[in-house]
Amino acid sequence: MRVGIEVGGTFTDLVAVGDGKITVTKVPSTPHSPDIGALNALKEAGIKIDTLSDLAHGSTVATNAVLERKGAKVAFVATEGFRDILFLQRHDRRSIYNIKYQKPEPVVARRDCFEVSERILANGDVVEALNEQAVREKLIPALKAGGYGAVAICLLNGYANPVHENRLLELIEESVPGLLVTRSSEIVRIFREFERASTTSLSAFVQPVIDNYLGRLESNLKEDGFKGHLTVMQSNGGRLPATAMRRSAITALFSGPAAGVVGAARQSSKSGFENLITFDMGGTSTDVCLVDNGRPALTMETEIGGLPVMTPVLDIVTVGGGGGSIAWIDDGGMLRVGPQSAGADPGPACYGFGGKLPTVTDAQVVRGAVRPEAFLGGRMKIDVEAARNAFTEIADHFGMTIDEAAESVVRLVNSNIVRAIQLVSTERGRDPRDYALVPFGGGGPLHAASIAEELGIETICIPPNAGVISAFGLLASDFVKFGNRTQKMPMKDGPVEGATIFAELRDELMEEFKQMGLPADKLEFTYTADMRFVGQAFELGVELPGDRLKSLTVKDFGDGFEEAHFRMFYHGVGANRPIEIVSFRVGATYPVGEIPDLRSTGDAAHSLVEHPVFDGGEWISCQHMASEALKTGEKIDKPTIIEGSTATTFVPAGWHAELDDASNLIMKRS
Amino acid sequence: MKISALDYAVISQGIHAAAREMGVKLIRSAYSTILREARDGSAALLDAQGRTIAQAELIPMQLGTIDAIVQPCLELYPPETLVEGDFLINNHPYHGGQHLQDVFIFNPVFFEGELIGFGASVAHHLDLGGGSAGLNPNASDVYQEGLLIPPSKYNMERDWNGGNLERLIAANIRVPTQTIGDFNAQFAANFMGGGRLKELCTKHGVDAVREAMEEMLNYTERRVRAAIEELPDGVYTGEDCIDDAAFAGQDPVWIRAKVTVKGDTIDVDFEGTDPQVACNINCPFASTQSVALSAVKVALTGSDVPFNSGLRRPITFRAPYGSILNPKPPAPVRARMIPAYRAYDAIMKALSKAAPEKVTAMGFDCTTIACLSHQEDTGFAVHIEPYGGGFGGGFDRDGCDAIDNQLSNCANTPVEALDAGYDFFRIKSYAMVADSFGHGRHRGGAGFLRSYEILKDGATFAIYSDHHKFAASGLFGGSDGSLGYCRILRGKEIITVGSKNLVNLKKGDIVEVFCGGGGGYGDPKERARSDIDHDIAEGLLTAAEADRFYQSAQAAE
Repeated sequence: MRVGIEVGGTFTDLVAVGDGKITVTKVPSTPHSPDIGALNALKEAGIKIDTLSDLAHGSTVATNAVLERKGAKVAFVATEGFRDILFLQRHDRRSIYNIKYQKPEPVVARRDCFEVSERILANGDVVEALNEQAVREKLIPALKAGGYGAVAICLLNGYANPVHENRLLELIEESVPGLLVTRSSEIVRIFREFERASTTSLSAFVQPVIDNYLGRLESNLKEDGFKGHLTVMQSNGGRLPATAMRRSAITALFSGPAAGVVGAARQSSKSGFENLITFDMGGTSTDVCLVDNGRPALTMETEIGGLPVMTPVLDIVTVGGGGGSIAWIDDGGMLRVGPQSAGADPGPACYGFGGKLPTVTDAQVVRGAVRPEAFLGGRMKIDVEAARNAFTEIADHFGMTIDEAAESVVRLVNSNIVRAIQLVSTERGRDPRDYALVPFGGGGPLHAASIAEELGIETICIPPNAGVISAFGLLASDFVKFGNRTQKMPMKDGPVEGATIFAELRDELMEEFKQMGLPADKLEFTYTADMRFVGQAFELGVELPGDRLKSLTVKDFGDGFEEAHFRMFYHGVGANRPIEIVSFRVGATYPVGEIPDLRSTGDAAHSLVEHPVFDGGEWISCQHMASEALKTGEKIDKPTIIEGSTATTFVPAGWHAELDDASNLIMKRS
Repeated sequence: MKISALDYAVISQGIHAAAREMGVKLIRSAYSTILREARDGSAALLDAQGRTIAQAELIPMQLGTIDAIVQPCLELYPPETLVEGDFLINNHPYHGGQHLQDVFIFNPVFFEGELIGFGASVAHHLDLGGGSAGLNPNASDVYQEGLLIPPSKYNMERDWNGGNLERLIAANIRVPTQTIGDFNAQFAANFMGGGRLKELCTKHGVDAVREAMEEMLNYTERRVRAAIEELPDGVYTGEDCIDDAAFAGQDPVWIRAKVTVKGDTIDVDFEGTDPQVACNINCPFASTQSVALSAVKVALTGSDVPFNSGLRRPITFRAPYGSILNPKPPAPVRARMIPAYRAYDAIMKALSKAAPEKVTAMGFDCTTIACLSHQEDTGFAVHIEPYGGGFGGGFDRDGCDAIDNQLSNCANTPVEALDAGYDFFRIKSYAMVADSFGHGRHRGGAGFLRSYEILKDGATFAIYSDHHKFAASGLFGGSDGSLGYCRILRGKEIITVGSKNLVNLKKGDIVEVFCGGGGGYGDPKERARSDIDHDIAEGLLTAAEADRFYQSAQAAE
């Protein structure tokens, strides 16, 4: 039996695969200690823990630790003269016309920041040796006295030469055994000290939290007879064995939305779609990601609570538009949706829990797309009148009917999602029309067609059980790890010196996988050089053909770079400017092998219900059906709402749909 | 046709997104540290009349009058005469521009043969020639400050990419590779913005896009008028002074603002401001306008009110011709941020009487420019760092520590970027300084010290700054922030550089630049003990200073 358990803010989802069938279970999350929710989900699903071969786990433990500032007490160590790096930050503001602006708050207190005297240059030369005596006499006693849970070290140019960071680690380990120490050079070997220090401090901050959490989960499982592999999702869309994750906490920081993207990509590839734009529409926000050739796009730069994080994470853009997002009129008279959300309490007006403000879910109820009897499989009572009343103010203000107001709100939230999709596509030099749209989460498939039309997308692939695709993604994800090294060189040195670095990084990764008990012969590698025109400061990643690493040419590097630069910046091809390589990155993937089938059953009897939907400014006739009734090969060519227990799909006029062999519902424009 | 509320929301947000993307790409494809690291550049989309519709939120000072800077170009080359491939360019302080280093470029955007707007960008260029590299504080007229590019029209095909204008500029500047690279980043941003605007026209129709642009101006106007309306009508005054015009041998230079609030309009009059001076701290009128617009925007409206030309409609301003805020040519203007910030503070002091809860105490509010240069065998190495200081304390919170001030928004340059790019100096420390802020119910933001170790003989250091003699003022009983300073440690010798100077350096010198803190807001007696203790524990406040300002204040009760 293989099980994926994804802990979300409200629900903990479980997908179990084995004995030729698939089980989907949802239990309430237990935010104070999410592992209890995970264990509850196993109980609820009736799974015998000793029969588990594979338990893949995803949680927002690391993310929440940062957002709620509930991590370790961290000591930060910097080069003399620079202990304020985390506070000075980059000296700029995110919001420029704000007289009362405040910077994002670091996870370390200023009183816990220390300095050591040493200096290394950008080329790695040591100009001032580490003053070990001072370390022993000042830093070590302070670390002993401070009651710290972790230490983060980020020395200037430590990315170029980690010798002093390494030596500090030894000195601290000698004197304060057991204290967790994180070096910037082991986390990210890239220049810009603030961003690297921020990443390092965040890693140190969450490491003990992750370590405790996974330790507790492992021992609870063992008590119940667990003998399988416990693996954990990372921000890069791959898994790691839990034991390895306990030493690599930073890669857990954005693992929440990553599993869904991987699940969506894997499930769509069964229908032959490799180039996708995924969007996950939940209660308060929507996460968007672009997938090329089955591989979700990565970015090296992201942030959490305003603090920069430099580590490969899926390039996911989040917008504040979900089912609970509230529609409002601003003081300039413009219609807006979000980012405020009604949340679960009071929730949308139609829940009847006292919410009076109009939400996206209310809009879908008003326009008939959500049938009161069918909401959440009929488990929840819906108050249509309350939903309609919530839109009175907007309708009156703009001189619209309630129905028009509701449809406007739906279209506006769609346009927010469209902009997020443009951010990951057009802004990255990709044309959305070359992609299939893959919606998931409870609301995704309901909004997909209209979003596709805005973007000129012709095909939509809707996975079965779209509301729990994240838990499925845990099981479907590979083991992934990245190695990187900053070593600046002119492009001409790429084919020889660069290829040597690639090979070294590859060998290091093979060794790491061996230690995780995953044989190196199955590994697949990607090779990326980060390049720029000499004088620029931001690099573009250029992927190189790994199958001929030994015979790379300067042209491989140059053409790849100029093409990428033009795609991104609209200039640079044939610029005849010198190009340099700044850093090298190798990604190693241990494929998970056969992916379990996520299928819908198709065994329920058809019971079509006619219930009109307000679409395009008029009430149109629309049939509603249960997703369990849909059979493989069955075609839909008139307006239809497909009601599932985890998600609702809308096939509007102008679209037709068919359930294919992989249980994906494929929608195309007529 | 009247577009629907929905279409308006969709198109306007598309235009905002395009402008934001222009800013991102401008910075990311740039070459010089001042543009790619300090991010001293801005971008905007204008309509066919040259009005700012949406902007990338980068530098308020540059953004404020993009719309005014294109006008002299359009007077010479009316919109209907422009063709595909043309571009307009202007950096002339006496023809709508600000200071020479900020070069504004406008690329017209055509849709189906019709002009629909302009992609506009500005970058502070590292060096545009003139009497010394990067910054010539000795300049006694504008000609000594670098290359003047009057409002003009060129063509990409003919004049750039090896063409006449590109070669003319490259021949007159000290670091052409970086600077021409930065110009290319400006063009790329403009094309990108233009492309996005065309996509919106394709999708929604050119009429709908035009209408949305018009409505975006109206929208901002409505929200700004609503904000002004909340103020009590009246005439409010404020004044502030520049330390000195050092090179002109002149002591405090006064700037006075009279702000008249009437209904939903504001008039800002700088009558009574001192005459222009014979050194580079004159503020061209375009810059003065930018100050007034930014000050009203910052103080009165929420940060989600978009800045565009609609903001101008309820605001009028004037400054006497020949004054430091509206100088006559050919007065030099390089350090126009110095008078600009005093004008900003004069307006804020006036507004504090009308809106005491919205305005903060004065921040360090001064751009400090540190310029290091060295002539090498292979050419010049030039580095410019723009710095801010601490914000002023406010009604409901402390001032932000060590950050760029309100009219600007430059990032620091990472020490590691400098280590990789320059070998004639090295940053020795960069740190916040204890007791550097004004005290009050809410304290000001802390100032910071940045020090440079000089590694080669023959380097020069130029600076302009202010608040070395008169500190940022506290408000409503709060105390003043700390003074800034600049000095050189040469062995046992301490050489005071002052706020506006050019000095030759020796190997081994340590140059210290200190940017001070902001003023406090309200009576220190009212400060929460927990806040005082927190500052002491964090090392930002010494126990002695706390005793002096807070203990005694509390004991006196």
